[in-house]
Amino acid sequence: MDNSLKTVALRKSFGKSLLYTLPMFLITFMFITGGKPNFSDPASGLAMLTVFLLVNVLYFSMHFTGKTDKYRAILFIIFAMSLSYTLIHNMLQVRQSMSFSQADILECKIPFCHLVIPMMILPAAFTKSIIFPGSIIGGFANISSMVVLWVIATIVLGRGFCSWGCFYGGWDDGFSRLRKRRVIKNISELWKWMPFAVLIMVMLSAALTLMPTYCSWICPFKAVTEFEKVTSVESATKAGIFLSLFGGLVIALPVMTKKRTQCSFLCPLGAINSLSNKITPFTVKIDKNSCNECFKCVEVCPLFAITREDVKKGNVSLFCSKCGKCVDACSRKAIHYGIKGIPAGTMKNFSRNLFLFVSFLFMAIFSSGSIISTFQGLFKLIF
Amino acid sequence: MTESLILGLSSGSACLATCGMVMFPYLMAGSAGVKKIAVDLTLFLLTRFIVYFILATLAWYFGRTIFSNPFIRNIVPGILYIVFAVLLVWYSISKSRKPDCPAKIVKTVNNRRLIPILLGLVNSLGFCPALFIILTQGATQRTLFRSYLAFLAFFIGSSLWFLPLPLAGKIQKKEVLKNIGILATGLAGIIFMIKGLTNIIGGIING
Repeated sequence: MDNSLKTVALRKSFGKSLLYTLPMFLITFMFITGGKPNFSDPASGLAMLTVFLLVNVLYFSMHFTGKTDKYRAILFIIFAMSLSYTLIHNMLQVRQSMSFSQADILECKIPFCHLVIPMMILPAAFTKSIIFPGSIIGGFANISSMVVLWVIATIVLGRGFCSWGCFYGGWDDGFSRLRKRRVIKNISELWKWMPFAVLIMVMLSAALTLMPTYCSWICPFKAVTEFEKVTSVESATKAGIFLSLFGGLVIALPVMTKKRTQCSFLCPLGAINSLSNKITPFTVKIDKNSCNECFKCVEVCPLFAITREDVKKGNVSLFCSKCGKCVDACSRKAIHYGIKGIPAGTMKNFSRNLFLFVSFLFMAIFSSGSIISTFQGLFKLIF
Repeated sequence: MTESLILGLSSGSACLATCGMVMFPYLMAGSAGVKKIAVDLTLFLLTRFIVYFILATLAWYFGRTIFSNPFIRNIVPGILYIVFAVLLVWYSISKSRKPDCPAKIVKTVNNRRLIPILLGLVNSLGFCPALFIILTQGATQRTLFRSYLAFLAFFIGSSLWFLPLPLAGKIQKKEVLKNIGILATGLAGIIFMIKGLTNIIGGIING
């Protein structure tokens, strides 16, 4: 029997796609407008309308075309850029600067982000204190809301958080799409374990020093958020490190390798999220009966989550962030979204629809606030 | 002390990954039970502890003599940190390709009772870049007590990895642990490279 007969078309008719988009339409309407659309401020109203349409057009396109990654990436990249814009804008309004001072640290005025979570675990367990100088409840980017969001998203999506929820991932995802062909092709498999080494180092150093060492010394995204004021050799060294890492791992290497190198080789939260892939219900499966071992999925995977051996075995490794790039690249639809417990090759459409609804809804709700703020600023600037 | 502990923890994992499989059969061969294994392991760790204690004293003594000038006290250790850190990074990367362990010379010893002590001696004096870094650390401490603390932290960090040695046969995914250990060692190297650079710049600025 011809294997191509087994392939399942993921694209839907216009009407059916519209029907699938309806629940997203209603929920995002409620979240974006709060149930009461307010057009008293034209820039704000227009921004809300634009984001609402953007989100729903993207979700509709996913169903209508059967492609996932392309439309996910659009929102994901806009999310990353708008979050940075919102954060910088906020910092400039509050402090008139992107840099923070020792006084800001002492007053716990540093916005919290999910990358701090791995460092908080050991100190919180042993000293019952939070080592990050941010606001626990209330204020801009507080600790409790971010932790709760991350926990829920990680339980449901596993490492899918890295492609559907992380507001930094869009940066290297975006840069990895700039070139058509890779300049650097051969990268050792060894490097994909680096986030685990970083995780061990930052967890230990944070526990020993009771300081968020990753944020202080390593995090490359300080280049697009906030950073310590350069007042000493130490703070200048820190600035040198984060700028080099941003330039190297977020811009240069993704452009040259077409891979998300910061997420693959540095992010300690990515390591924890990889482990959480073991508990999440959603997964990516390989139907060995349909697979012709073209290894296109290996080539396109931005996180080194699939090797040739994995394809031969019919497994995807725990590094998978469920971005959908491999699913889109597979002409036979042998690799597909799945649900644990359901055999590979079955219920492909159902699994995809369910996963897309959950993950896209999370991203749409999570990102809408900062994207609206960005568009609002943009419209005010234009008009 | 924190840096020494981290250095010990990171280099200890790579050390165990490369040397553990050579040392394990010698430590455990002919062992009748947990008691014998515990005695062998205690002797092994005790030897390492004594060697580090001596090295801490020597390092501090030579450091006090050599680095008496405040300018030299910053610049020379800074250069040493960078050199040894580069070696540590290179060592971790090259080890991943060609595992080799100084403890294999113990194969030539016939006396079974001496083996844990000799292994401890070879392991602690197996002049790897991590040891050079901790020697530099010990040499730059203000007091002998602080030098002991630095070595103690390094000893604790690296020894933790040897404690589950009797269970080595049961550990799954050794290759993954080895890879993570190697990369962690490389990261420790980078940390000391930055420390060295900061020392030099600080030394130049402060005269």
